[in-house]
Amino acid sequence: MAQLIGGLGSSHVPSITAALDKGLSQSPDWKPFFDGTEAGKAWVRAHNPDVAVVIFNDHANAFFLDRVPTFAVGCADSYEPIDEGWGPRAIPTFSGHAEFGWHLLDTMVENSFDPMIVQEIKVDHGMQVPMELFFGRPETAWPVKVVPIFVNVIQFPIPLPARCHELGKVLRRAIDSFPGDERIVVIGTGGLSHQLQGARAGFINPEADRQFLLDIAANPARLAALTREDYVRLYGSEGAEMMMWLVMRGAMDDAVRVHHSHYHAPASMTGAAMLVLENGAG
Amino acid sequence: MRPQIVFLPGLLCDSRVFAAQVAALSPVADIKVADFSQDASIEAMAARALRLFEGAVTLIGFSMGGRAALEAFRQAPERIARLCLMDTGAAPAKDSEAETRGALLALARAEGMAALARQWLPPMLHPDREADPALIVPLGAMVEAATLAQAERQIGALLARPDARGLLAEIRCPVLVMVGRQDRWAPLAQHEALAAAIPGAELAIIEDAGHFAPVERPEAVTRALARWLGVGDQMAGEAADRIPDSPIFDRARQRRGYRLNKMAMGLCEPANRDAFRSDEPAYLARFALDETEIAAVMRRDWREMVRLGGNVFHLLKISAIDPVRMTEIGAHQAGMDHDVFLRERLGKKT
Repeated sequence: MAQLIGGLGSSHVPSITAALDKGLSQSPDWKPFFDGTEAGKAWVRAHNPDVAVVIFNDHANAFFLDRVPTFAVGCADSYEPIDEGWGPRAIPTFSGHAEFGWHLLDTMVENSFDPMIVQEIKVDHGMQVPMELFFGRPETAWPVKVVPIFVNVIQFPIPLPARCHELGKVLRRAIDSFPGDERIVVIGTGGLSHQLQGARAGFINPEADRQFLLDIAANPARLAALTREDYVRLYGSEGAEMMMWLVMRGAMDDAVRVHHSHYHAPASMTGAAMLVLENGAG
Repeated sequence: MRPQIVFLPGLLCDSRVFAAQVAALSPVADIKVADFSQDASIEAMAARALRLFEGAVTLIGFSMGGRAALEAFRQAPERIARLCLMDTGAAPAKDSEAETRGALLALARAEGMAALARQWLPPMLHPDREADPALIVPLGAMVEAATLAQAERQIGALLARPDARGLLAEIRCPVLVMVGRQDRWAPLAQHEALAAAIPGAELAIIEDAGHFAPVERPEAVTRALARWLGVGDQMAGEAADRIPDSPIFDRARQRRGYRLNKMAMGLCEPANRDAFRSDEPAYLARFALDETEIAAVMRRDWREMVRLGGNVFHLLKISAIDPVRMTEIGAHQAGMDHDVFLRERLGKKT
């Protein structure tokens, strides 16, 4: 049977990969952030996963407002990086694990989740940034296959945080019941606090972010019990996407060890974090 | 997925005191009202409230019930999802309290609970409504339904109540402090201090209400609770209040901004980027934008584009063609100079 070997969390701020593209990772602004991601990259290297299930949101790149799936699961053999308006980025196409994607879709529907089934789609910085932070930027091919889970965190009604947590538990059932020997990581992405719109633009909340990083490991029920409005109030209008970390956390055991946790603010206008969780009591 | 809510009533109160709120919120939450008639300590009341549900629970405590809610947080902080403290306090009994409350008990022993109700209730109401039968009659009936023994137990509990002030700074769940503006028993200033002592607590002031705010102004209290609980959308006839200065991309904005967002997202296509660069008005004209929208785009007026229903992830495509930093777009919307924005909002040293 497939095995869940770790739960990873990462921001997906596009300026992170833009900084890499421009060779700014050692600049005074960016060095503290990138230094804090080395331990996550090292963990991935040491544990050598075969599959990464990445939970993220599309940012007006693959989905327009004409159709907005609350949850969508990719079951394609490959996912090209998308042109977000700045031109194509020089990173390899992602290989998809179509079989696991289909198995996850089956498992979700059997457990009362009804996702959109996605066969052909391009992926934006929501997936690219976390993949580059954990796996580096390969020349020719990524070392893992991916399964994208898209969550609508932009167009209200967005899902409840508790529902994201529940989805993670179903994802775990899919992993535990998948007939293969794949070593799987689940990556929750987004956040932390940021607001890009309105007169409160530039709102960040480092204190709440640090508490989030503690609670996502030790007390996820508290984060699942918050309302969507709480997320907007505490973490900013775009910080509401932090509920996607609950999908990752729901997939993990109730008891987890925090292998690595790092926080830096701001990355561009966002509180930026990386987290590595392992199953089992500390 | 429905929130579990326990309402905690005050001295000599029962579920009648929350009747309006329970009726309004029942479609969207699992609700129980604690019965403190047999309890002789705040600690026992808190434990009873916690036993009503398993797992995460929202506590809404009125007056004595607010004190029990704080005690419940002390007993089981990990179970408290949200906390509403209504016309209440955290401090222990003042020296004078034993005398005042003792006199009330003496009256009840001598002349019965109806006499207690006649003396006790009017100062608990808005000064203009002390004699309002719409309040006095049902509240009087509620108090008379309580026994003298219950009054003795609960007043004893209040006089021996724990000092919860040391707890306030430790509360991390969402907290709503609510008070009737004309509450003469537990005044507004006491609630301002209470809200200030709890990290992130919100304060809701119910206008034209005394201590019995949930009975005196039932709709206003229900609205404030629904907004805070995030269920305003689900309740018929209630427009949800939103977080100040934080435009949420809801159905109204989606409809208003649909063409504008479609225009912007079109810029993901290289051919459209070329068209935008070579003749911006002609490109904009393809999307049936009105004059206001065209002017806002041409001026790169980000605040106005968001006001017109533009969503930032769509609008950012414009900044890919005509480079503007995200922080400049943020500063523009905040109405701040860029350096000031970096310093004050993002904590950058500039």
